[in-house]
Amino acid sequence: MNLYAYILRRLLYVIPVLLGVCLVIFVLFNLVAPDPAFILLGKHATHQQIAELHHELGMDKPFIAQYFDTVKTAFTFDFGYSWASKQNIWQMIKAGAGPSLSVTGPLFVISNIFAISLALLVAFYRGKLIDKFVLVLSIAGMSIPSLAVVLFGQWFFAYKLGLFEISGYENGFPNFIPYVILPVILYVFISFGGDTRFYRTVILDEAYQDYVRTARSKGLSELKVMFKHVLKNSMIPILTQIIIQIPYLILGLIFAESFFSIPGLGAMTINAINNSDFPVIKAMTILSAVAFILFGVITDVLYTVVDPRMKLK
Amino acid sequence: MNTEKILEVKDLVVEFRTERGVVKAVNGVNFEVHKGKTLGIVGESGSGKSVSALAIMGLIPNPPGRVASGQILYRGKSLVNIDPSEMRKIRGNKIAMIFQEPMTSLNPVFTIGNQIEEVIELHQPHLSASERAAKAVDMLRLVGIPSPEKRVKEYPHQLSGGMRQRVMIAIALSCEPDILIADEPTTALDVTIQAQILELMNKLQKELGMGIILITHDLGVVAETCDHVAVMYCGQIVESADVETLFNHPSHPYTKGLMDSIPDFDSTSGHKKERLQTIEGMVPSLFNLPTGCNFQDRCSKVTEACRGMNGDPTLKPAKGDDHFVACFNPLENI
Repeated sequence: MNLYAYILRRLLYVIPVLLGVCLVIFVLFNLVAPDPAFILLGKHATHQQIAELHHELGMDKPFIAQYFDTVKTAFTFDFGYSWASKQNIWQMIKAGAGPSLSVTGPLFVISNIFAISLALLVAFYRGKLIDKFVLVLSIAGMSIPSLAVVLFGQWFFAYKLGLFEISGYENGFPNFIPYVILPVILYVFISFGGDTRFYRTVILDEAYQDYVRTARSKGLSELKVMFKHVLKNSMIPILTQIIIQIPYLILGLIFAESFFSIPGLGAMTINAINNSDFPVIKAMTILSAVAFILFGVITDVLYTVVDPRMKLK
Repeated sequence: MNTEKILEVKDLVVEFRTERGVVKAVNGVNFEVHKGKTLGIVGESGSGKSVSALAIMGLIPNPPGRVASGQILYRGKSLVNIDPSEMRKIRGNKIAMIFQEPMTSLNPVFTIGNQIEEVIELHQPHLSASERAAKAVDMLRLVGIPSPEKRVKEYPHQLSGGMRQRVMIAIALSCEPDILIADEPTTALDVTIQAQILELMNKLQKELGMGIILITHDLGVVAETCDHVAVMYCGQIVESADVETLFNHPSHPYTKGLMDSIPDFDSTSGHKKERLQTIEGMVPSLFNLPTGCNFQDRCSKVTEACRGMNGDPTLKPAKGDDHFVACFNPLENI
């Protein structure tokens, strides 16, 4: 069975999963959530106004029809209009994606390259001083609450030293650069500890395997042993860890964008939650579910590329 | 022996630092490897056989291990404290090694061909990519793998244990080494495959003229393949002789014990003649070796002399040429 048939089959599996996810979302938003009339029309609405609103939102249809409306949005990405701003939600998402990506993109690349390189370094010098030093630094990074890191960073680097903007955003490259440097640096610090520890464990799991001894017995340099033999065998857990981060790139950093006043998707989601803007929350929920499902498929396909023992089934 | 001496190990001591203190896994070992000859190193698990081999390869994991003293001379050149980049030119090129675990010794995510070509590329950089690929196929053919052109593109998990060990041999021999160290190469294999692999090693030794160090706990394997044998116990060589002398006149009670523990079958009926002999007691812990002879608590010939009043036993000439035994009460003619 070839790779393309395998990919196609994995994509077909997405359909039932998505239908299930839509069912959960439908139950949460249409059956459990409060009647939108309370939010949209206020306390003094008449029965007729409420009935008209329900008709407008399609809430007078049978449940099964409402469920299929939810399913339709998941496949067409036609999410309707925000209750708060009356804007088209897909347009809002497109507008928010740029600012989000301008922070999460560099953060994703820098933090992974940094953590994997550092993990290879400390795995190489395991037990030596640098390993212990990085361990202390990692645990510090993991233990200090991210809010404290953000506030300290804003106060020290932006306010005291005046190196970066404290918060805010300007659209368009390169205007946004001064605004994203600080959040990227601070979030690399927040995430590197856990990532480095994880990658180090994964790499060391492989570093004591018999084939590593064979590689050394051939006369290969330690660098070649680490980067060719060990790294490729560590790729499965590393890939999983990396790809699972990608949906967050698209969805934005929920809290960081609020701290730094970046008008991205994370900030948009927080605003929607604050305003009970259910169509936006629902859109972001569907979007994240789709993103996680699709990147799950991509992870599975990449497994078969890095590990020949994986069967295409 | 009048053949060319290519490797000499003198008074080798290998220490490991552990939580319970420093332990000498190899303690004053001497042996020689000659061109075209096979040296067998025999002993129980933990007797220091594999550690001696890894010390020659410079692959003792450090920390916790290190070569504490002694010399390893390859064609007169010391391999202890040699510059690591110099050692890498010898390792895999002049001295190659195959391991006990064929199932896990190959890298699962690279093709067989890639793993053979890697060592050729490293030590014979003058060969072009196509020459390397051709040589990888030749090596697989040399070790008796059927349809080698197809196999080079396969991954280790597509091969059986015996086939994988053949691939390991192909990797080890692809730079035509002077010395092949085989650390229990047949232990993990079926008996019929064991015989094939040993036969293959003997055949290739004749063709390529390399010296072999064969590490094993199987005296049957020794009898079939070795020219000279060293018996190790608790990190020391207790008896050393050419293979015929050792089997005909074992002098150390431990060697005798090992031979008696070989199952003895009546060759015609296939029935066991008598109850299987074993050596009483346990190997002492390396953390807590007795004073005097390390074998004293398990030995039937033990006397007061063995308990340390005369110091530790050292290798002394015994009956026959090139026969040495470290025992205060060596067995006389049997």
